[in-house]
Amino acid sequence: MNRIRIALLVLAMCAPSLASAQALKFEEAATLLGASCGKDIDDNCRGVNFDPNRLKECLNRNQDVVSAKCQTDSTRAFSAITQRITARTTLMKLCNWEMNHLCSEFKTDPAKGLQCLLDSTKKATGNCNKAITAAGYR
Amino acid sequence: MRWGTRLRTLGLLLGTLAVAAVPVSGRAQTAIPAGEIIDKLSAAGDTTPDLDVAALKQQAADRVKAKADAQPLRRPLIAPLLTKLTQVRFDVLFDPDTSLIRPGSYGMIGSLADALSDPKLQPYKFLIVDHTESGGRRDANLALSQRRADSIRDVLVSTFKISGKRLVALGLGEEQLQDANKPAAPVNARAQIVAFGKPDVVEPKPAAPSAAAKKGAAPAKKKR
Repeated sequence: MNRIRIALLVLAMCAPSLASAQALKFEEAATLLGASCGKDIDDNCRGVNFDPNRLKECLNRNQDVVSAKCQTDSTRAFSAITQRITARTTLMKLCNWEMNHLCSEFKTDPAKGLQCLLDSTKKATGNCNKAITAAGYR
Repeated sequence: MRWGTRLRTLGLLLGTLAVAAVPVSGRAQTAIPAGEIIDKLSAAGDTTPDLDVAALKQQAADRVKAKADAQPLRRPLIAPLLTKLTQVRFDVLFDPDTSLIRPGSYGMIGSLADALSDPKLQPYKFLIVDHTESGGRRDANLALSQRRADSIRDVLVSTFKISGKRLVALGLGEEQLQDANKPAAPVNARAQIVAFGKPDVVEPKPAAPSAAAKKGAAPAKKKR
């Protein structure tokens, strides 16, 4: 019984770090930001819309009064949004070989090119597959 | 008794695990899941709806200015075609009389962003339509709804890098009541995202710039 308890305790302690290591969807990141920083935004950044630069700047400017949870979660949320956007913008570069060899007929059509890429993951290189995962397309 | 204590301990541990494993909690507003938005909007075909947004804005502004159809109960829809297009209705909370999105609605905007960046929806262009319930000044409601539609579009473009070429914002104030029997009901303030053809297919109509340039229409002055 003690072993089970210890195993569960270790799992419980690891769960947050495992969860934070996973990339958040836009919805999850935005919800996290709204839930953790709603009061701080109301109190200190009233009038600032959901704009990453202005909102981040306002929360940073007021960090002496912004809650610790908001500081932690806003950093995580903004970082998750940026990571996903970067992963999406660099996807075609990282999957250049696949685009040239597997999806060349769709090179002029980004939407069809992306769909072709996602249909060709079994033949794609490891780097391209990693990039597809980082972009949140599966 | 001993088993009871053990079960309680196990329950506490599982509870801790459940709380720790779900980092996103305390939602102020439940966002429509991106998958649901994708399923609904991807049902739009390749046909481009015959909808001139600039002309529609002008039509709404003209109707408000002329004080036509003053009774909300008898007011006809300004754009009946809109109701027939593939769309999803959603709630976004704003600060009163402003276009500032409440933090409780950030998740909903994020969910829209997830859906719009999905490969299934990438070929499409979308119309973001905001409405208000009936109450107060009609012209103010029309201008406010345009600012709010612009605000949703701006966040999708600036925060989530959805291409601005794919998104058109339209505010219809109280000119398109979803429940005309209850003009003041909150349901009338729900926003819509409407599939609006494909960006490479939908080119601006030649008449659109001139219609948008006509002065006297508050919504037409909004940033784009």
